[in-house]
Amino acid sequence: MPTRETANPSGASCYGTPRVATTVQLRTSYGAARPNALRLIVEGLADMWSRRQLARYLVRAELTKTGANTVLGNVWWVLDPLLQLVVYVVFVSLIVGRTSPDYPLFVFAAILPWKWFSSAINDAISSVVSRERIIKQVHFPKIVLPAASTLSGVVHFAFGLIPLFLLMVLFYRDRVVWTLLLIPLVAVVQLIFTLALAVVLSAVNVFYRDVGNVARHALRLWFYLSPALYSVEQVRRFTENQPTIGFVYGLNPFTVLFEAYRAVIYDGVLPSFVALAVLLGASMILVGAGIYFFKRLEPAFAKVL
Amino acid sequence: MPSAGTRFEGPAIDAHRLGVEYNLRLTRKTTIRHSFYNLLQPRPPTRFWALRDVTFRVDHGESLAVIGPNGAGKTTLLLVLAGIIQPSKGHVEIRGKVSSLLTLGAGFDTELSGVDNIVLAGAFMGIDSREMERRLPEIIAFADIGPFIDAPLKTYSSGMRARLGFSIATAVDPDVLLVDEVLATGDQAFREKSRQRIEQLIRAAKGIVLVTHDMNWVTTFCNRALLLEEGHVVAEGDPADVVTIYQEHSERARLEKEAEALRLRLQGVL
Repeated sequence: MPTRETANPSGASCYGTPRVATTVQLRTSYGAARPNALRLIVEGLADMWSRRQLARYLVRAELTKTGANTVLGNVWWVLDPLLQLVVYVVFVSLIVGRTSPDYPLFVFAAILPWKWFSSAINDAISSVVSRERIIKQVHFPKIVLPAASTLSGVVHFAFGLIPLFLLMVLFYRDRVVWTLLLIPLVAVVQLIFTLALAVVLSAVNVFYRDVGNVARHALRLWFYLSPALYSVEQVRRFTENQPTIGFVYGLNPFTVLFEAYRAVIYDGVLPSFVALAVLLGASMILVGAGIYFFKRLEPAFAKVL
Repeated sequence: MPSAGTRFEGPAIDAHRLGVEYNLRLTRKTTIRHSFYNLLQPRPPTRFWALRDVTFRVDHGESLAVIGPNGAGKTTLLLVLAGIIQPSKGHVEIRGKVSSLLTLGAGFDTELSGVDNIVLAGAFMGIDSREMERRLPEIIAFADIGPFIDAPLKTYSSGMRARLGFSIATAVDPDVLLVDEVLATGDQAFREKSRQRIEQLIRAAKGIVLVTHDMNWVTTFCNRALLLEEGHVVAEGDPADVVTIYQEHSERARLEKEAEALRLRLQGVL
Protein backbone atom coordinates (compact mmCIF):
# COMPACT_ATOMS: atom_id res chain seq x y z
CA MET A 1 0.00 0.00 0.00
CA PRO A 2 1.42 3.39 -0.88
CA THR A 3 1.96 5.78 1.97
CA ARG A 4 -0.64 8.47 2.20
CA GLU A 5 -0.23 11.70 4.10
CA THR A 6 -3.35 12.55 5.99
CA ALA A 7 -4.49 15.64 7.72
CA ASN A 8 -4.89 13.86 10.99
CA PRO A 9 -6.80 15.77 13.64
CA SER A 10 -5.53 13.72 16.54
CA GLY A 11 -1.97 13.97 15.26
CA ALA A 12 -1.24 10.41 16.27
CA SER A 13 0.98 9.48 13.41
CA CYS A 14 3.55 6.85 14.13
CA TYR A 15 6.57 6.87 11.87
CA GLY A 16 9.23 4.34 12.65
CA THR A 17 8.43 2.09 15.55
CA PRO A 18 4.99 0.66 15.07
CA ARG A 19 4.02 0.04 18.64
CA VAL A 20 0.46 -0.49 19.60
CA ALA A 21 0.78 1.53 22.77
CA THR A 22 1.67 4.73 20.95
CA THR A 23 -1.26 4.77 18.59
CA VAL A 24 -4.84 5.61 19.27
CA GLN A 25 -6.39 2.25 18.69
CA LEU A 26 -10.08 1.91 18.54
CA ARG A 27 -10.76 -1.72 17.99
CA THR A 28 -14.08 -3.34 17.87
CA SER A 29 -14.58 -6.96 17.16
CA TYR A 30 -17.73 -8.93 16.73
CA GLY A 31 -17.69 -12.63 17.15
CA ALA A 32 -19.88 -15.49 18.21
CA ALA A 33 -18.60 -15.56 21.80
CA ARG A 34 -20.92 -15.79 24.81
CA PRO A 35 -19.80 -13.91 27.95
CA ASN A 36 -20.81 -14.90 31.47
CA ALA A 37 -23.71 -13.58 33.53
CA LEU A 38 -21.91 -11.18 35.83
CA ARG A 39 -20.02 -9.61 32.96
CA LEU A 40 -23.25 -9.06 31.07
CA ILE A 41 -24.84 -7.33 34.04
CA VAL A 42 -21.85 -5.07 34.58
CA GLU A 43 -21.80 -4.36 30.86
CA GLY A 44 -25.51 -3.48 30.90
CA LEU A 45 -25.04 -1.08 33.79
CA ALA A 46 -22.01 0.43 32.06
CA ASP A 47 -24.06 0.82 28.87
CA MET A 48 -26.72 2.76 30.71
CA TRP A 49 -24.18 4.97 32.42
CA SER A 50 -22.02 5.66 29.38
CA ARG A 51 -25.07 6.47 27.28
CA ARG A 52 -26.83 8.61 29.85
CA GLN A 53 -26.67 11.46 27.36
CA LEU A 54 -28.66 9.43 24.87
CA ALA A 55 -31.16 8.61 27.59
CA ARG A 56 -31.46 12.30 28.37
CA TYR A 57 -32.11 13.18 24.74
CA LEU A 58 -34.66 10.40 24.43
CA VAL A 59 -36.49 11.66 27.49
CA ARG A 60 -36.39 15.18 26.15
CA ALA A 61 -37.62 14.02 22.75
CA GLU A 62 -40.42 12.13 24.42
CA LEU A 63 -41.43 15.18 26.42
CA THR A 64 -41.37 17.58 23.47
CA LYS A 65 -43.45 15.14 21.47
CA THR A 66 -46.18 14.60 24.05
CA GLY A 67 -48.28 17.65 24.03
CA ALA A 68 -46.76 19.05 20.86
CA ASN A 69 -49.99 18.46 18.96
CA THR A 70 -52.42 19.63 21.63
CA VAL A 71 -53.70 23.11 22.35
CA LEU A 72 -52.81 23.05 26.02
CA GLY A 73 -49.49 21.30 25.45
CA ASN A 74 -47.48 20.81 28.60
CA VAL A 75 -50.35 21.98 30.80
CA TRP A 76 -51.68 18.46 30.32
CA TRP A 77 -48.87 17.07 32.46
CA VAL A 78 -50.46 18.85 35.41
CA LEU A 79 -54.06 18.61 34.27
CA ASP A 80 -54.03 14.92 33.46
CA PRO A 81 -53.47 13.57 36.99
CA LEU A 82 -56.02 16.05 38.35
CA LEU A 83 -58.72 14.88 35.95
CA GLN A 84 -57.94 11.28 36.74
CA LEU A 85 -58.28 12.14 40.41
CA VAL A 86 -61.72 13.62 39.79
CA VAL A 87 -62.81 10.47 37.97
CA TYR A 88 -61.74 8.18 40.80
CA VAL A 89 -63.16 10.37 43.55
CA VAL A 90 -66.53 10.64 41.85
CA PHE A 91 -66.53 6.95 40.98
CA VAL A 92 -65.66 5.68 44.45
CA SER A 93 -67.85 8.17 46.35
CA LEU A 94 -70.87 7.25 44.24
CA ILE A 95 -70.43 3.49 44.30
CA VAL A 96 -68.80 2.78 47.63
CA GLY A 97 -70.18 5.78 49.46
CA ARG A 98 -68.09 5.71 52.59
CA THR A 99 -64.52 6.79 52.01
CA SER A 100 -61.50 7.69 54.07
CA PRO A 101 -61.33 11.28 55.33
CA ASP A 102 -59.75 13.72 52.87
CA TYR A 103 -60.29 11.08 50.24
CA PRO A 104 -58.96 13.11 47.26
CA LEU A 105 -55.56 13.37 48.90
CA PHE A 106 -55.73 9.74 49.97
CA VAL A 107 -56.25 8.64 46.35
CA PHE A 108 -53.87 11.16 44.85
CA ALA A 109 -50.97 9.79 46.88
CA ALA A 110 -51.46 6.49 45.02
CA ILE A 111 -52.53 7.71 41.56
CA LEU A 112 -49.40 9.78 40.99
CA PRO A 113 -46.87 6.98 41.46
CA TRP A 114 -49.13 4.54 39.64
CA LYS A 115 -49.42 6.80 36.60
CA TRP A 116 -45.65 6.93 36.45
CA PHE A 117 -45.38 3.17 36.76
CA SER A 118 -48.05 2.25 34.25
CA SER A 119 -47.01 4.80 31.62
CA ALA A 120 -43.37 3.82 32.02
CA ILE A 121 -44.17 0.14 31.57
CA ASN A 122 -46.43 0.80 28.59
CA ASP A 123 -43.78 2.99 26.96
CA ALA A 124 -41.02 0.55 27.73
CA ILE A 125 -42.82 -2.39 26.16
CA SER A 126 -42.82 -0.69 22.78
CA SER A 127 -39.54 1.18 23.32
CA VAL A 128 -37.31 -1.32 21.50
CA VAL A 129 -39.82 -2.32 18.84
CA SER A 130 -40.70 1.25 17.91
CA ARG A 131 -37.03 2.10 17.37
CA GLU A 132 -36.74 -0.77 14.94
CA ARG A 133 -35.37 1.36 12.14
CA ILE A 134 -32.57 3.00 14.08
CA ILE A 135 -31.64 -0.36 15.58
CA LYS A 136 -31.07 -1.62 12.06
CA GLN A 137 -28.99 1.40 11.20
CA VAL A 138 -26.75 2.15 14.15
CA HIS A 139 -25.05 -0.04 16.70
CA PHE A 140 -25.86 1.19 20.20
CA PRO A 141 -26.76 -0.38 23.56
CA LYS A 142 -30.48 -1.02 23.27
CA ILE A 143 -30.89 -1.15 27.04
CA VAL A 144 -30.94 2.65 27.02
CA LEU A 145 -34.39 2.55 25.43
CA PRO A 146 -36.39 0.99 28.30
CA ALA A 147 -34.27 2.96 30.76
CA ALA A 148 -35.30 6.19 29.02
CA SER A 149 -38.96 5.17 29.18
CA THR A 150 -38.62 4.67 32.92
CA LEU A 151 -36.95 8.03 33.31
CA SER A 152 -39.51 9.99 31.30
CA GLY A 153 -42.06 8.55 33.71
CA VAL A 154 -40.10 10.18 36.52
CA VAL A 155 -40.42 13.56 34.84
CA HIS A 156 -44.16 13.17 34.56
CA PHE A 157 -44.25 12.13 38.21
CA ALA A 158 -42.29 15.22 39.16
CA PHE A 159 -44.76 17.40 37.30
CA GLY A 160 -47.60 15.56 38.98
CA LEU A 161 -46.24 16.74 42.32
CA ILE A 162 -47.19 20.30 41.37
CA PRO A 163 -50.97 19.68 41.54
CA LEU A 164 -50.35 17.57 44.65
CA PHE A 165 -48.74 20.46 46.46
CA LEU A 166 -51.37 22.88 45.15
CA LEU A 167 -54.08 20.60 46.46
CA MET A 168 -52.39 20.33 49.83
CA VAL A 169 -51.73 24.03 50.24
CA LEU A 170 -55.25 24.98 49.16
CA PHE A 171 -57.34 22.36 50.93
CA TYR A 172 -55.29 20.26 53.33
CA ARG A 173 -52.92 22.74 54.83
CA ASP A 174 -52.83 20.93 58.18
CA ARG A 175 -51.44 17.84 56.43
CA VAL A 176 -48.35 19.62 55.09
CA VAL A 177 -45.52 18.23 57.21
CA TRP A 178 -41.83 17.59 56.76
CA THR A 179 -42.31 13.93 55.82
CA LEU A 180 -43.22 15.15 52.33
CA LEU A 181 -39.47 15.51 51.85
CA LEU A 182 -39.23 11.70 51.96
CA ILE A 183 -41.14 11.34 48.67
CA PRO A 184 -37.90 11.08 46.63
CA LEU A 185 -36.73 8.25 48.87
CA VAL A 186 -39.81 6.17 48.13
CA ALA A 187 -39.55 7.20 44.48
CA VAL A 188 -36.04 5.77 44.22
CA VAL A 189 -37.28 2.36 45.34
CA GLN A 190 -40.08 2.55 42.81
CA LEU A 191 -37.66 3.65 40.10
CA ILE A 192 -35.49 0.58 40.54
CA PHE A 193 -38.47 -1.76 40.63
CA THR A 194 -39.93 -0.13 37.50
CA LEU A 195 -36.62 -0.33 35.67
CA ALA A 196 -36.35 -4.06 36.29
CA LEU A 197 -39.78 -4.73 34.83
CA ALA A 198 -39.32 -2.26 31.96
CA VAL A 199 -36.09 -3.88 30.83
CA VAL A 200 -37.51 -7.40 30.83
CA LEU A 201 -40.80 -6.56 29.12
CA SER A 202 -39.18 -4.47 26.38
CA ALA A 203 -37.03 -7.46 25.43
CA VAL A 204 -39.85 -9.99 25.54
CA ASN A 205 -42.00 -7.79 23.31
CA VAL A 206 -39.46 -8.07 20.50
CA PHE A 207 -40.24 -11.77 20.25
CA TYR A 208 -43.86 -11.79 21.38
CA ARG A 209 -45.83 -8.75 20.34
CA ASP A 210 -48.68 -9.81 22.60
CA VAL A 211 -46.96 -8.34 25.64
CA GLY A 212 -48.58 -4.95 25.10
CA ASN A 213 -52.07 -6.42 24.97
CA VAL A 214 -51.54 -8.54 28.06
CA ALA A 215 -49.87 -5.74 29.99
CA ARG A 216 -52.73 -3.31 29.44
CA HIS A 217 -55.12 -5.57 31.30
CA ALA A 218 -52.63 -6.94 33.77
CA LEU A 219 -51.77 -3.40 34.83
CA ARG A 220 -55.41 -2.51 35.36
CA LEU A 221 -55.98 -5.63 37.45
CA TRP A 222 -52.81 -4.93 39.41
CA PHE A 223 -54.02 -1.42 40.17
CA TYR A 224 -57.34 -2.57 41.56
CA LEU A 225 -55.67 -5.32 43.57
CA SER A 226 -53.28 -2.82 45.12
CA PRO A 227 -54.42 -0.55 47.94
CA ALA A 228 -54.82 2.54 45.78
CA LEU A 229 -58.50 3.37 46.09
CA TYR A 230 -58.86 1.72 49.48
CA SER A 231 -56.61 1.41 52.50
CA VAL A 232 -54.50 -1.53 53.58
CA GLU A 233 -56.46 -1.59 56.85
CA GLN A 234 -59.62 -2.41 54.93
CA VAL A 235 -57.85 -5.33 53.33
CA ARG A 236 -56.44 -6.50 56.67
CA ARG A 237 -59.95 -6.68 58.08
CA PHE A 238 -60.80 -9.08 55.28
CA THR A 239 -57.67 -11.19 55.51
CA GLU A 240 -57.60 -11.47 59.31
CA ASN A 241 -58.78 -15.07 59.13
CA GLN A 242 -56.84 -15.90 56.00
CA PRO A 243 -53.18 -15.32 56.78
CA THR A 244 -52.06 -16.80 53.44
CA ILE A 245 -53.98 -14.26 51.40
CA GLY A 246 -52.78 -11.54 53.71
CA PHE A 247 -49.21 -12.67 53.23
CA VAL A 248 -49.52 -12.80 49.46
CA TYR A 249 -51.12 -9.36 49.52
CA GLY A 250 -48.14 -8.05 51.43
CA LEU A 251 -45.82 -9.38 48.73
CA ASN A 252 -47.28 -6.99 46.17
CA PRO A 253 -44.61 -4.32 45.71
CA PHE A 254 -47.30 -1.73 45.31
CA THR A 255 -48.75 -2.54 48.70
CA VAL A 256 -45.41 -1.48 50.13
CA LEU A 257 -45.02 1.51 47.82
CA PHE A 258 -48.56 2.87 48.21
CA GLU A 259 -48.33 2.48 51.98
CA ALA A 260 -45.05 4.35 52.00
CA TYR A 261 -46.31 7.16 49.77
CA ARG A 262 -49.43 7.42 51.84
CA ALA A 263 -47.45 7.52 55.07
CA VAL A 264 -45.32 10.46 53.94
CA ILE A 265 -48.02 12.37 52.01
CA TYR A 266 -51.33 11.60 53.68
CA ASP A 267 -50.58 10.53 57.24
CA GLY A 268 -47.46 12.59 57.72
CA VAL A 269 -45.61 9.77 59.45
CA LEU A 270 -42.45 7.86 58.68
CA PRO A 271 -42.82 5.00 56.19
CA SER A 272 -41.86 1.45 57.08
CA PHE A 273 -38.17 1.54 56.29
CA VAL A 274 -37.83 -2.20 56.72
CA ALA A 275 -40.43 -2.94 54.05
CA LEU A 276 -38.86 -0.37 51.73
CA ALA A 277 -35.40 -1.81 52.28
CA VAL A 278 -36.63 -5.33 51.53
CA LEU A 279 -38.33 -4.11 48.36
CA LEU A 280 -35.21 -2.19 47.39
CA GLY A 281 -33.06 -5.26 47.82
CA ALA A 282 -35.46 -7.45 45.85
CA SER A 283 -35.70 -4.82 43.11
CA MET A 284 -31.94 -4.66 42.81
CA ILE A 285 -31.76 -8.40 42.33
CA LEU A 286 -34.55 -8.11 39.78
CA VAL A 287 -32.69 -5.37 37.92
CA GLY A 288 -29.63 -7.58 37.74
CA ALA A 289 -31.64 -10.50 36.44
CA GLY A 290 -33.49 -8.21 34.02
CA ILE A 291 -30.29 -6.78 32.60
CA TYR A 292 -28.86 -10.26 32.16
CA PHE A 293 -32.02 -11.37 30.38
CA PHE A 294 -31.98 -8.30 28.14
CA LYS A 295 -28.31 -8.56 27.26
CA ARG A 296 -28.69 -12.22 26.36
CA LEU A 297 -31.49 -11.44 23.93
CA GLU A 298 -30.04 -8.19 22.60
CA PRO A 299 -27.87 -9.72 19.83
CA ALA A 300 -30.97 -11.24 18.27
CA PHE A 301 -32.96 -7.97 18.17
CA ALA A 302 -31.74 -6.70 14.82
CA LYS A 303 -32.38 -10.06 13.20
CA VAL A 304 -35.87 -10.44 14.53
CA LEU A 305 -37.14 -6.88 14.14
CA MET B 1 4.80 -2.61 8.74
CA PRO B 2 6.18 -0.28 6.10
CA SER B 3 3.06 1.77 5.65
CA ALA B 4 3.70 4.34 8.34
CA GLY B 5 1.68 7.50 8.33
CA THR B 6 -1.71 5.92 8.77
CA ARG B 7 -3.27 6.30 12.14
CA PHE B 8 -4.05 2.67 12.69
CA GLU B 9 -1.94 -0.36 12.36
CA GLY B 10 -3.28 -3.25 10.43
CA PRO B 11 -6.30 -3.31 8.18
CA ALA B 12 -9.34 -1.18 8.86
CA ILE B 13 -11.58 -4.19 8.54
CA ASP B 14 -10.48 -7.75 8.98
CA ALA B 15 -13.27 -10.23 8.42
CA HIS B 16 -12.50 -13.85 8.94
CA ARG B 17 -14.79 -16.62 7.74
CA LEU B 18 -17.94 -14.70 8.55
CA GLY B 19 -21.14 -16.62 8.61
CA VAL B 20 -24.59 -15.27 9.38
CA GLU B 21 -27.46 -17.58 9.93
CA TYR B 22 -31.04 -16.47 10.05
CA ASN B 23 -33.68 -18.46 11.80
CA LEU B 24 -36.68 -17.81 9.61
CA ARG B 25 -39.06 -18.96 12.28
CA LEU B 26 -37.85 -16.27 14.67
CA THR B 27 -37.82 -13.48 12.14
CA ARG B 28 -41.54 -13.80 11.65
CA LYS B 29 -43.33 -11.42 13.92
CA THR B 30 -44.40 -13.99 16.41
CA THR B 31 -47.32 -14.06 18.73
CA ILE B 32 -47.78 -16.53 21.53
CA ARG B 33 -50.41 -18.35 19.49
CA HIS B 34 -47.84 -19.12 16.81
CA SER B 35 -45.40 -20.40 19.38
CA PHE B 36 -47.93 -22.84 20.74
CA TYR B 37 -48.68 -23.90 17.23
CA ASN B 38 -45.01 -24.49 16.60
CA LEU B 39 -44.70 -26.44 19.83
CA LEU B 40 -47.55 -28.71 18.86
CA GLN B 41 -46.35 -29.21 15.34
CA PRO B 42 -42.60 -29.43 15.44
CA ARG B 43 -41.28 -28.68 12.02
CA PRO B 44 -37.68 -28.79 10.95
CA PRO B 45 -36.17 -25.44 11.86
CA THR B 46 -36.05 -23.23 8.84
CA ARG B 47 -32.54 -21.94 8.89
CA PHE B 48 -30.84 -20.01 6.22
CA TRP B 49 -27.29 -18.82 5.81
CA ALA B 50 -27.26 -15.27 4.53
CA LEU B 51 -23.47 -15.22 4.57
CA ARG B 52 -21.08 -18.10 4.45
CA ASP B 53 -17.33 -18.15 4.86
CA VAL B 54 -16.77 -14.53 3.92
CA THR B 55 -13.18 -13.51 4.41
CA PHE B 56 -11.71 -10.20 3.32
CA ARG B 57 -9.66 -7.24 4.42
CA VAL B 58 -9.99 -3.54 3.87
CA ASP B 59 -6.92 -1.45 4.52
CA HIS B 60 -7.11 2.14 5.61
CA GLY B 61 -7.45 4.30 2.55
CA GLU B 62 -9.04 1.56 0.55
CA SER B 63 -12.56 1.53 -0.69
CA LEU B 64 -14.19 -1.77 -1.31
CA ALA B 65 -17.27 -2.20 -3.46
CA VAL B 66 -19.57 -5.06 -2.65
CA ILE B 67 -21.68 -6.08 -5.60
CA GLY B 68 -23.99 -8.93 -6.37
CA PRO B 69 -27.57 -9.77 -7.26
CA ASN B 70 -30.47 -9.07 -4.90
CA GLY B 71 -30.48 -11.34 -1.90
CA ALA B 72 -26.79 -12.13 -2.15
CA GLY B 73 -26.13 -10.96 1.40
CA LYS B 74 -24.67 -7.53 0.68
CA THR B 75 -26.80 -5.69 3.18
CA THR B 76 -26.32 -8.43 5.76
CA LEU B 77 -22.58 -7.99 5.38
CA LEU B 78 -22.88 -4.27 6.06
CA LEU B 79 -25.07 -4.96 9.09
CA VAL B 80 -22.38 -7.25 10.50
CA LEU B 81 -19.64 -4.70 9.84
CA ALA B 82 -21.69 -2.02 11.55
CA GLY B 83 -22.07 -4.30 14.57
CA ILE B 84 -25.83 -4.32 14.20
CA ILE B 85 -26.06 -8.07 13.90
CA GLN B 86 -23.63 -10.53 15.37
CA PRO B 87 -22.05 -13.11 13.11
CA SER B 88 -23.04 -16.69 13.86
CA LYS B 89 -19.63 -17.90 12.78
CA GLY B 90 -16.23 -16.34 12.44
CA HIS B 91 -15.31 -12.87 13.55
CA VAL B 92 -14.66 -9.41 12.27
CA GLU B 93 -12.32 -6.83 13.66
CA ILE B 94 -12.66 -3.17 12.91
CA ARG B 95 -10.07 -0.57 13.76
CA GLY B 96 -11.49 2.88 14.00
CA LYS B 97 -14.78 4.67 14.35
CA VAL B 98 -17.53 3.24 12.19
CA SER B 99 -20.30 5.23 10.61
CA SER B 100 -22.99 3.62 8.60
CA LEU B 101 -25.13 5.07 5.85
CA LEU B 102 -27.28 2.03 5.57
CA THR B 103 -30.71 3.37 4.91
CA LEU B 104 -30.61 7.10 4.90
CA GLY B 105 -32.86 8.81 7.34
CA ALA B 106 -34.64 5.64 8.35
CA GLY B 107 -33.94 6.15 12.02
CA PHE B 108 -35.33 9.64 12.15
CA ASP B 109 -38.10 10.67 14.45
CA THR B 110 -40.71 12.35 12.30
CA GLU B 111 -42.19 14.39 15.13
CA LEU B 112 -38.91 16.09 15.95
CA SER B 113 -37.23 18.93 14.09
CA GLY B 114 -34.17 18.51 11.90
CA VAL B 115 -31.86 19.94 14.54
CA ASP B 116 -33.29 17.66 17.24
CA ASN B 117 -32.85 14.70 14.94
CA ILE B 118 -29.22 15.59 14.29
CA VAL B 119 -28.53 15.76 18.00
CA LEU B 120 -30.43 12.54 18.66
CA ALA B 121 -28.66 10.73 15.83
CA GLY B 122 -25.36 11.88 17.29
CA ALA B 123 -26.35 10.50 20.67
CA PHE B 124 -27.34 7.19 19.11
CA MET B 125 -23.95 7.00 17.44
CA GLY B 126 -22.29 7.74 20.75
CA ILE B 127 -20.90 11.13 19.90
CA ASP B 128 -20.42 13.55 22.74
CA SER B 129 -23.03 16.30 22.77
CA ARG B 130 -20.44 19.07 22.85
CA GLU B 131 -18.74 17.52 19.85
CA MET B 132 -22.09 17.30 18.11
CA GLU B 133 -22.91 20.91 18.88
CA ARG B 134 -19.60 21.92 17.38
CA ARG B 135 -20.41 20.08 14.18
CA LEU B 136 -24.01 21.18 14.01
CA PRO B 137 -23.45 24.24 11.74
CA GLU B 138 -21.41 22.15 9.34
CA ILE B 139 -24.07 19.44 9.14
CA ILE B 140 -26.84 21.96 8.63
CA ALA B 141 -24.86 23.77 5.97
CA PHE B 142 -24.12 20.58 4.08
CA ALA B 143 -27.70 19.32 4.20
CA ASP B 144 -28.74 22.71 2.84
CA ILE B 145 -32.44 22.42 3.45
CA GLY B 146 -32.94 26.01 4.55
CA PRO B 147 -35.53 26.93 7.17
CA PHE B 148 -36.87 23.36 7.18
CA ILE B 149 -34.11 22.46 9.59
CA ASP B 150 -36.33 23.72 12.44
CA ALA B 151 -39.51 22.08 11.17
CA PRO B 152 -40.61 18.60 12.19
CA LEU B 153 -39.33 15.87 9.93
CA LYS B 154 -42.79 14.84 8.83
CA THR B 155 -42.84 17.94 6.65
CA TYR B 156 -39.70 16.87 4.76
CA SER B 157 -39.56 15.40 1.30
CA SER B 158 -37.75 12.09 0.98
CA GLY B 159 -34.89 13.86 -0.76
CA MET B 160 -34.49 16.26 2.14
CA ARG B 161 -34.41 13.38 4.59
CA ALA B 162 -31.74 11.65 2.57
CA ARG B 163 -29.66 14.81 2.46
CA LEU B 164 -29.90 15.23 6.21
CA GLY B 165 -28.97 11.58 6.72
CA PHE B 166 -26.01 11.83 4.41
CA SER B 167 -24.64 14.94 6.03
CA ILE B 168 -24.96 13.48 9.53
CA ALA B 169 -23.27 10.21 8.66
CA THR B 170 -20.36 11.82 6.87
CA ALA B 171 -19.87 14.78 9.18
CA VAL B 172 -19.01 12.62 12.15
CA ASP B 173 -15.54 12.01 10.78
CA PRO B 174 -15.66 8.24 10.52
CA ASP B 175 -12.60 6.07 10.08
CA VAL B 176 -14.67 3.40 8.44
CA LEU B 177 -17.69 4.35 6.39
CA LEU B 178 -20.30 1.85 5.34
CA VAL B 179 -22.55 2.93 2.50
CA ASP B 180 -25.55 1.10 1.13
CA GLU B 181 -26.94 2.27 -2.20
CA VAL B 182 -27.74 5.74 -1.16
CA LEU B 183 -25.58 7.79 -3.38
CA ALA B 184 -28.20 8.21 -6.03
CA THR B 185 -30.51 10.15 -3.74
CA GLY B 186 -31.29 13.80 -3.89
CA ASP B 187 -31.23 16.10 -6.86
CA GLN B 188 -28.41 16.54 -9.34
CA ALA B 189 -26.63 19.19 -7.30
CA PHE B 190 -26.71 17.19 -4.07
CA ARG B 191 -25.60 14.05 -5.83
CA GLU B 192 -22.58 15.92 -7.09
CA LYS B 193 -21.88 17.25 -3.62
CA SER B 194 -22.13 13.84 -1.97
CA ARG B 195 -19.91 12.43 -4.69
CA GLN B 196 -17.28 15.00 -3.78
CA ARG B 197 -17.72 14.23 -0.11
CA ILE B 198 -17.13 10.53 -0.67
CA GLU B 199 -14.07 11.31 -2.74
CA GLN B 200 -12.82 13.53 0.05
CA LEU B 201 -13.33 10.75 2.58
CA ILE B 202 -11.50 8.27 0.41
CA ARG B 203 -8.63 10.71 0.02
CA ALA B 204 -8.52 11.19 3.78
CA ALA B 205 -7.34 7.60 4.02
CA LYS B 206 -10.46 6.11 5.50
CA GLY B 207 -11.82 2.71 4.85
CA ILE B 208 -15.01 2.53 2.88
CA VAL B 209 -17.30 -0.35 2.11
CA LEU B 210 -19.82 0.51 -0.56
CA VAL B 211 -22.77 -1.58 -1.57
CA THR B 212 -24.20 -0.48 -4.87
CA HIS B 213 -25.77 -1.51 -8.12
CA ASP B 214 -24.27 1.44 -9.94
CA MET B 215 -21.26 -0.03 -11.74
CA ASN B 216 -19.94 3.43 -12.58
CA TRP B 217 -19.42 4.07 -8.90
CA VAL B 218 -17.62 0.79 -8.52
CA THR B 219 -15.11 1.46 -11.24
CA THR B 220 -14.55 5.14 -10.55
CA PHE B 221 -14.42 5.16 -6.76
CA CYS B 222 -13.38 1.81 -5.50
CA ASN B 223 -9.97 0.29 -5.77
CA ARG B 224 -11.24 -3.18 -5.00
CA ALA B 225 -14.47 -5.06 -5.49
CA LEU B 226 -16.06 -8.12 -3.99
CA LEU B 227 -18.71 -10.16 -5.73
CA LEU B 228 -21.19 -11.89 -3.45
CA GLU B 229 -23.54 -14.57 -4.66
CA GLU B 230 -25.85 -16.45 -2.33
CA GLY B 231 -23.75 -15.49 0.63
CA HIS B 232 -20.45 -16.62 -0.80
CA VAL B 233 -17.55 -14.59 -2.10
CA VAL B 234 -17.38 -15.45 -5.77
CA ALA B 235 -14.73 -13.01 -6.90
CA GLU B 236 -12.51 -10.38 -5.38
CA GLY B 237 -10.01 -8.02 -6.92
CA ASP B 238 -9.74 -5.22 -9.42
CA PRO B 239 -13.12 -3.46 -9.78
CA ALA B 240 -13.19 -3.62 -13.57
CA ASP B 241 -12.51 -7.37 -13.57
CA VAL B 242 -15.05 -8.13 -10.88
CA VAL B 243 -17.68 -6.02 -12.61
CA THR B 244 -17.03 -7.97 -15.81
CA ILE B 245 -17.47 -11.27 -13.98
CA TYR B 246 -20.64 -10.00 -12.36
CA GLN B 247 -22.06 -8.87 -15.67
CA GLU B 248 -21.22 -12.21 -17.24
CA HIS B 249 -22.89 -14.01 -14.36
CA SER B 250 -26.02 -11.93 -14.45
CA GLU B 251 -26.17 -12.24 -18.22
CA ARG B 252 -25.90 -15.99 -17.89
CA ALA B 253 -28.56 -16.05 -15.17
CA ARG B 254 -30.82 -14.00 -17.41
CA LEU B 255 -30.27 -16.33 -20.37
CA GLU B 256 -30.89 -19.38 -18.22
CA LYS B 257 -34.12 -17.89 -17.01
CA GLU B 258 -35.14 -17.06 -20.55
CA ALA B 259 -34.30 -20.58 -21.71
CA GLU B 260 -36.30 -21.99 -18.85
CA ALA B 261 -39.29 -19.83 -19.74
CA LEU B 262 -38.97 -20.84 -23.34
CA ARG B 263 -38.82 -24.50 -22.40
CA LEU B 264 -41.96 -24.17 -20.31
CA ARG B 265 -43.74 -22.43 -23.16
CA LEU B 266 -42.66 -25.14 -25.58
CA GLN B 267 -43.94 -27.78 -23.19
CA GLY B 268 -47.27 -25.99 -23.20
CA VAL B 269 -47.35 -26.01 -26.99
CA LEU B 270 -46.44 -29.66 -27.40
